Amino acid sequence: MRIVIAEDLLLLRDGMIRLLTDTGHTVVAAVDTADALITAVTEHRPDLSIVDVRLPPGFRDEGLRAALRIRSADPSAKVLIVSQYVERAYAADLLADGRGGVGYLLKDRVTDLDEFLDAVDRVAAGGTALDPEVVRQLFTRNARNHGVEGLTPREREVLHLMAQGLSNTAICTTLVLAPVSVEKHITNIFAKLDLPPSDDAHRRVRAVLTYLNS
Amino acid sequence: MMRKIMGSVRPLAYLATAPIAGVAGFVWSLAATVIVTLLAVTQLGGPAFLGAAWVTRALASVERRRAGWVLGAPVAAPYEPVTGTLRSRVAGVAAQPATWRDLAWLVVLFPLGLAGGVAGLVVAIVDLGSIVAPLWAWAVPNPHAPWPMKPLMTTVPGRFGLTVLGLALLPVAAWFVRTLATGLARLASALLAPGEHRRLVERAARLAETRRRVVDAQAAELRRIERDLHDGAQARIVAAGMTLALAARKLRTDGDAAPDVALARRQLDDALAELRRLVRGIHPPILTDRGLHAALAALAGDSPFPVSLTGPLGGSLTGSSGGSLGGSLGGSLGGSLGDERYPAAVESAAYFVVAEGLTNAAKHASASTGVVDIRRTGDTVHVTVTDDGRGGADPNGPGLDGLRRRVEALDGILTLSSPPGGPTVLHAELPCAS
Repeated sequence: MRIVIAEDLLLLRDGMIRLLTDTGHTVVAAVDTADALITAVTEHRPDLSIVDVRLPPGFRDEGLRAALRIRSADPSAKVLIVSQYVERAYAADLLADGRGGVGYLLKDRVTDLDEFLDAVDRVAAGGTALDPEVVRQLFTRNARNHGVEGLTPREREVLHLMAQGLSNTAICTTLVLAPVSVEKHITNIFAKLDLPPSDDAHRRVRAVLTYLNS
Repeated sequence: MMRKIMGSVRPLAYLATAPIAGVAGFVWSLAATVIVTLLAVTQLGGPAFLGAAWVTRALASVERRRAGWVLGAPVAAPYEPVTGTLRSRVAGVAAQPATWRDLAWLVVLFPLGLAGGVAGLVVAIVDLGSIVAPLWAWAVPNPHAPWPMKPLMTTVPGRFGLTVLGLALLPVAAWFVRTLATGLARLASALLAPGEHRRLVERAARLAETRRRVVDAQAAELRRIERDLHDGAQARIVAAGMTLALAARKLRTDGDAAPDVALARRQLDDALAELRRLVRGIHPPILTDRGLHAALAALAGDSPFPVSLTGPLGGSLTGSSGGSLGGSLGGSLGGSLGDERYPAAVESAAYFVVAEGLTNAAKHASASTGVVDIRRTGDTVHVTVTDDGRGGADPNGPGLDGLRRRVEALDGILTLSSPPGGPTVLHAELPCAS
C-alpha cells in the first residue's frame, strides 16, 4: 500500500516509517507540515494518508484541518488521523460527511502492531477505525441523552465494536460469539435505537456514528 | 546647630505665606459656595460646580506644593479621573472625598494660617531684630521704655547684650518656627494627601492588574508544560512502544529483536530524563525536601562557572554540591542547614529568580563567576544574583518577564541592572509574612 505520513516529530515519523516499511507498505512521502501534506497528497495520490492532528506552525489541529480539506477536494481520499490525545469533537468533524475511509487513533495504538495494521487496511478499504477511547467518550456523552441505556451489556459491547469499525466477523471473533447471535444483537440494537437495518457494513457503522454524534 | 537653623528658612517661608494662602482660600471657598449655590437652580449649576472644583483643586495643588517645602517631598494628589457626560462628571467629582477635603483645608487654613503665620513671623522678627539691635536700636528713641528694655535699647553695651540674647534664643526661635510649620503642613497633608479611599482604589487596581498577569502567566506555563510533555516524554514513550512492537514481530518471525529492544530501552531512558527535566522546571524536588538554601546551593553547584552563596542565611556555603551541607546557619533552630522555611510560593519564586539569573549569566553573558546573596530583613526576603559577565540583558525578555509576574504576584519587586559591559545584578524582594 502507498502511504503518505504527516508527523512533525522526527522520532515518531522515523518510527512510523520503519514500522510500515517493515510490514510491507511503501511510504511514498513523509512530511512535517500541513501544507506539505496537501502538496504530497496531490502529487502522489496515496492509498492512505496517516496524519498527526497537531502540526506546525500553530501546533493546534492543522493536521485535522488539512485532512478535511483533502477529503473535500477528493472524496475518495482515505485519511487516518493519529494523535496523542483524543477529542470527541475531532472525531465528529472527521465523520461528519458520513462517507467512511477515515480513522482516528491514539498514537499508543500503533504499538499493537496487528490492530494498527488492521485499522490501516480497514480505512484504506473505505471503512472506519475509531479509537476505543474515542468511542468510550462518545458513549459517555450520549448515554444520558438517548436510548443507549436500554441496551443490554452484551448489545452495548457489540455497539462499541461496531463503532470502532469492526465487521461482523471481527465482532464474532472478539466476543467469541456465533455469527447468528451477533446478527441478532445487531438487529436488536437497530430496533432499540430506532435505526433501519441495512446490509451494508459501512453504512451501518455510519448510521451508528451519526446517531452517536447527534 | 547651624544646619537646623538654616533648615528653618523653608518653614519660615511656609509660615510667612500661610496668611496670604489662608485669605485667598477663604475668599475663594466663600465665593465658590455662594456662586455654585446660586447657580445650582439653573442650567449652569453643573459647569459652575466643575469649574469651582477645578479652581479649588488648583489652590489645593499650590497648598500641596507649599506643604512639600516643609515635609521634604510634595504631597501626592488624590484625584481619580472622571469621564463621561456632564452629569456623570459632576457626580464623579462630588463623590470623591478629595473634593470636600480640599474645601475643608481651604476653610481651616484661614484661621490656622493667619494665627500660625503671624506667630511665626513675630517670633522670627523679634529674634532676628535683637541680634542686629546694634545696627538699628540707636535710631529709635525709647525714653519711656520700661526696665529692662530701656537700658538694653538705649546703651551700646545693652544693644550688644540684645545681640547675645538673640543669638542664645535663636535655636529656640528656629525650633518654634519649624514645629509650627511642620504641624500645619502635616495637617495639610492629612487633608490633601490620598486618603484611605484613594489608597484602597489604587491597591484594588494594582491587585486586579497583578492577578490578571498571574492568570496569564499560569496559562502560558500550563501550555508550555503540555507542549513539553507532548513533544518530549510522551513522544519518546510512543516511539519506544513502536520499537518494541517491531521487536515483538521479529521474535515471532525469528528475526533478531535485540537491537530493537536496546533501542526501546534507550528511548525510555530518554523519556525519563525528559520527565525529570520537566519536573525540575515545574517545582524542583530539592526545594520541597530541603528548603530554599539547600536548593540554592544545589543550583549554584550545577552552574558551569563558580558561584558563591553569601548572606547571613546562606552562612558559609559555597556552591559545591548538595551532598555535604555542613556549616552554621545563624538564627535557625534544630541545627541542620536550610531549616528556615518560607511560604512555598516565596521559596519557589526565589529559586527561579536565582535559576534564571544563573542561566542567563551562563548562556548570554559568558560570566566567569557569580554571587548569590540571600538575606532576610524583617518580613522581606532579598535575593540577589550578581555575575561578572558582559551585561546588556534585556529586562523585558520573556524569561525575565515571566519571572517578574511571578514576583509581583507575591507583592514583591524584581529589578535588573545590566549595563553593557556588566556586571549584571538581578534582585528580588519577596515579602513573606510568617
